[in-house]
Amino acid sequence: MAEENSSKEISSSPGGLFWLTAGTMLAALIAIYLWVPTEKNEGIVQRIMYFHIPCAWLAFFAFFIVFVSSILFLWKKEREWDIYAHCSAEIGVVFCSLVLVTGPIWARPIWGVWWVWDARLTSTLVLWLIYIAYLMLRGQTEAESTRARYAAVVGIVGFLDIPLIHFSVLWWRTFHPKPKVISAEGLGQGMDPSMLATLCISLAAFTLLYCLLMGRRVALERTKDEIDRLKREKLYSS
Amino acid sequence: MREYLNQIIAIVRKDFLTEMKTRELFSSMFVFAVLVIIIFIFTVDLSITRSNEVGPGVMWVAIFFSGAIGLNRSFMLEKENGCMQGLLLTPADRTAIYFGKLISNLGFLTLMEAFILPVFMVFFNIDLLPHFFPLLLVIFLGTLGFCAIGTLLASLAANLKTRDIMLPILLYPLMVPIAIASVRMTGKILAGEPLSEMLNWMGLVLCFDIIFTGTAVMTIDHILEE
Amino acid sequence: MGQLGFLFVANLCVWGGIFFYILTLKKRQAAMEKDLLLLKEESGKDGD
Repeated sequence: MAEENSSKEISSSPGGLFWLTAGTMLAALIAIYLWVPTEKNEGIVQRIMYFHIPCAWLAFFAFFIVFVSSILFLWKKEREWDIYAHCSAEIGVVFCSLVLVTGPIWARPIWGVWWVWDARLTSTLVLWLIYIAYLMLRGQTEAESTRARYAAVVGIVGFLDIPLIHFSVLWWRTFHPKPKVISAEGLGQGMDPSMLATLCISLAAFTLLYCLLMGRRVALERTKDEIDRLKREKLYSS
Repeated sequence: MREYLNQIIAIVRKDFLTEMKTRELFSSMFVFAVLVIIIFIFTVDLSITRSNEVGPGVMWVAIFFSGAIGLNRSFMLEKENGCMQGLLLTPADRTAIYFGKLISNLGFLTLMEAFILPVFMVFFNIDLLPHFFPLLLVIFLGTLGFCAIGTLLASLAANLKTRDIMLPILLYPLMVPIAIASVRMTGKILAGEPLSEMLNWMGLVLCFDIIFTGTAVMTIDHILEE
Repeated sequence: MGQLGFLFVANLCVWGGIFFYILTLKKRQAAMEKDLLLLKEESGKDGD
């Protein structure tokens, strides 16, 4: 009964985390649009960066959580870790898609092309494909125990592949003339302190958003489990 | 240790004996690879682009496509005849089953490559003989990486209803590093560069081979669990 | 227009995307809770 109450609470009333996220997000928006100075070379469109990079960070972070939960699942065999891996993968794919959408929108006015086969963009695309496959695998396996085990293996393999993909794509492109804009993009260094601060606020806001979404998504999965359990009980009793 | 090796050898022998009887796998892989090469020749205008640049890519695409067919087939046969159940009931170690399957897949694919290379040489007018040994090494390392991760994923996909489509969807994004590295190295070899010029690619492929064989050994217990 | 337009579209995509995802989550949760309630009622009836 107590468990039911707690799950109800998560799903219906916005808690402290919600208000914290909303506040940070608001602060980030104010910083992005009102406070931070416009970048000289790229102009106003450079403001896309302040949510492009946090989205990318979030996607990687989510996939890292998938990796860790997958290992813990194979080790402990607890349904809990499977839920975390599944939810995190779904959120990761959502934010990875946002990165892939905002990337070209940023690239078009700055580089003059929609898509550059640049190392970071390309590895993000491959990553997206891997985790789409991961979610498809989850959708196509019926038995719950097999689904969790298979998905965990793919979750581990997929994350271990990331550094290899990164290096292969990086070296792949160095054989061609490299667009100068990309190397000039250098993160962190040469950045105005106010820009760095804005990026940090935005990163914090998105990380909180991840926690919030994760909580919601996990609650959803728990409800699903509860329904399955009740259905099974009903089947056996009748 | 001897026991373990015997288990692996027994599985490889079984696969090769089955293949000798039916010749199903090899012929379908080979014909498919030739078809892929021919389709590429029709769709990519080789009179404009130099075949030395396009060739390695076409060759590896043919290998990867027919390789996926081979991987799918090899586990489908086990599934269809209930042979997998039998394998799992034997006292053989799960990793021994993996290595046995890996070696037989590697064997079939290498055999297929031995036949596809002359075809490739003739169709693309590329002389492979002067670069034979470096090429052999590169092809072996690339095929090993492909089979290492492919065997793991195929053993997993074999239990799905939609295994024919799920294996490539899972496999191809994961083997992007191997595909890029192999094509690059083959291209460099055909351009006459020595192996010492591509140590970074070599290292990458070796890392791939080691990491995924290791991961497969560690996780195969969880997949081959009935 | 130009740059401002691109910025606007990017914003639209990000916030729209996040909002849409939250919306689908809510919808799924609501549908499930309805199911759950129904199931509980039925099992309660069976118990009586």
